[in-house]
Amino acid sequence: MNEMYLGQAAFAFYSLIALAGGVLAVSAASLVRAMLGLVVSLFGVAGLYLLLLADFVALMQILIYVGAVTVLIFFAIMLTRASADGGEGQGPGLRGSLRGVFGALLPAGILVPCLAVYGVAGFPTPKNVSPAELGAGLLGPYTMAFELISVVLLAAMAGAVLLAFEKRGAAK
Amino acid sequence: MNPLVFYQTVALLLLGLGLYALVARRTLVGMLIGVELMLNGAGLSIVAAAQLTSADAVLGQLGALLVMGLAAAEATLVLAIVLVVSKRFGDASADAPSELKG
Repeated sequence: MNEMYLGQAAFAFYSLIALAGGVLAVSAASLVRAMLGLVVSLFGVAGLYLLLLADFVALMQILIYVGAVTVLIFFAIMLTRASADGGEGQGPGLRGSLRGVFGALLPAGILVPCLAVYGVAGFPTPKNVSPAELGAGLLGPYTMAFELISVVLLAAMAGAVLLAFEKRGAAK
Repeated sequence: MNPLVFYQTVALLLLGLGLYALVARRTLVGMLIGVELMLNGAGLSIVAAAQLTSADAVLGQLGALLVMGLAAAEATLVLAIVLVVSKRFGDASADAPSELKG
């Protein structure tokens, strides 16, 4: 009985971290602070992955998202910064936030009733899958997806180099 | 209430926050942060659905890893696009590249 309450408390704690970080990420006036909020939110989601017994996914979340994607975003902020706040100083304004609330409520208005009506009853405790089984899955039934994601990453890398490349002596 | 509904609710809230940022932010980098929030919610939803129902757990976790890979690829491309936009238009706001040449 005690373990159940502990799990619920941990869920509340991690989801609070994830959502508070998300709120900071969408509302901060400075882009660097918004990125910090994103990092906090990513750590909260990693904690939720741990609660779901998906420990490998949680570690990959920290490695890929916190380690790589936020660094990319930070580079984007630094390389394009026109002013100290990165251009978000005056906020979205009343019309902007109204549009944002409308855009956020539209899918929620569809998905919340779906969740309430068609939500399947889940198990109370998650399954445990070892990283070895994940590796066997990648080399067995899901080889195609594994190869395709490598091709996508290669294409994205080549495309990024091609886009940002500037010929020597070109206009500028 | 079963736990799956709670996890899906958190994922849904992350989706809503990301959509709000995507619509309300003025700069391209702010919009990118919103997209990352949404992809995070998607990964959480996939893993929760795979771990807490009779679905294949390996498929769910590999799907979440795939979403992470796609997010990394997308962030790389958006970084390059933001660089090009800020070089051509002087700043990286979403309103800057809104005029057609003609």
